[in-house]
Amino acid sequence: MSELARTIEALLFLSSEPLSVAELSAASGASDDVVEAALAELAEAFAPGRRGLLLREVAGGYTLASDPVAEDAARELLGRPRHGALTPAQLETLAIVAYLEPVSRPEIARIRGVNAESPVASLLDRGLVSESGRSEFGAVLYRTTALFLKLFDLQSLEDLPDPAQWDPTPEQRSDLRERLLAAGEARAGASSP
Amino acid sequence: MRIAELELDLDVFSGPFDLLLTLVLREEVDLRELSLAEVVISYIDHLEARGELELEATTEFIVLVAALLELKSRLLLPDGDAEELLELEPAEAAEELLARMLDARRYRSAAAHLAELLALAPEVRYREAPLPPELRRIDLEQAPAGLWDPAILGRALGDLLTLPARLDLSHVLVARVSVAERIALLRRLLRKGGELSFDEVVEGDDRMTVAITLFALLELYKRGEVSWEQPKSFGEITVRAAGRAAVGGRR
Repeated sequence: MSELARTIEALLFLSSEPLSVAELSAASGASDDVVEAALAELAEAFAPGRRGLLLREVAGGYTLASDPVAEDAARELLGRPRHGALTPAQLETLAIVAYLEPVSRPEIARIRGVNAESPVASLLDRGLVSESGRSEFGAVLYRTTALFLKLFDLQSLEDLPDPAQWDPTPEQRSDLRERLLAAGEARAGASSP
Repeated sequence: MRIAELELDLDVFSGPFDLLLTLVLREEVDLRELSLAEVVISYIDHLEARGELELEATTEFIVLVAALLELKSRLLLPDGDAEELLELEPAEAAEELLARMLDARRYRSAAAHLAELLALAPEVRYREAPLPPELRRIDLEQAPAGLWDPAILGRALGDLLTLPARLDLSHVLVARVSVAERIALLRRLLRKGGELSFDEVVEGDDRMTVAITLFALLELYKRGEVSWEQPKSFGEITVRAAGRAAVGGRR
């Protein structure tokens, strides 16, 4: 393995967060191209099945991760699962933050129609969202964290699909709109003399 | 069961929920008269009777009731927005409710997608531990020479412990108006005419003085020395002495 590939392996070992090509070239003094070539060399060395670690590209950088083969033993050793279960409320809140960030708690509450205090607090505790300044009205704004990207195996938020795909078709939409008025009108008509 | 079919028996309305919604939107049922708490209780009763929680339906219900609550609170608060809402066409109102429901639905679907992503993500773990302390801290030997010198540290700490000089506030004018002064003024004016206009008393005064004068007036009212009336909101306040005997008796 080239000296640079070994250096990068060491840097990835030392860092607890994914490192971008820019960070790696700044630290090693090599150009981006050379760093990328060295990363390819490393990827080869860490190809699945070769080592207990994998080279993964996640959250906008490169990082070493444990091989899934070690998962049972790792859980035994560390005494906890990779991640706790997320409640539907937490997932919904997370989805809203991921798509609309930076977003305030009142905004989340408005969309969900219920108070968002508890899910936001637990997402903060778990490091999946973090505070990110304040809105012009002084409400704390929230963003997703690198941990969120790592946990959901995303390169960046742009990997998330367009949420419009879950919207009803225009036909369904107008059906829904009519439902409130039309159904009620029919009943109102039937009950009036 | 669809939420629309929930049967309600309320003070102002009896029938299915979607009819109630329609009537509210068409302003045939006055939202201000409608107890939304009753609607919620009916739904809870219904849930208890069924013995199971239908998440989909419950979410829809909550979103609708929340929208109704917002409409109602806007109706109850007399501001510019309320008038705007009153003018809202039923179709527009339905559109607004619908937009809410669709928004909520979109992010519910996004949440389901996230749950899938989480389930599909490979079972790998990443380093979570911060760097060990020996890698994070600078060694004493490596730190710039003299930085840890006790004398320097002592001076730095000493600076922090020294109280800064008091700020000179003498150029700031503090308006000093006391309730007692304003009471005296009001009594003096009332002795002259027996009746006065509040606006005239505080004419040209700053807000603080106006507020203190109002306190003084309240105090006099409490003591039974004056009566006052204001025919309409923000209108003229006329103050009358309750009787010379009462005023004189207390002086």
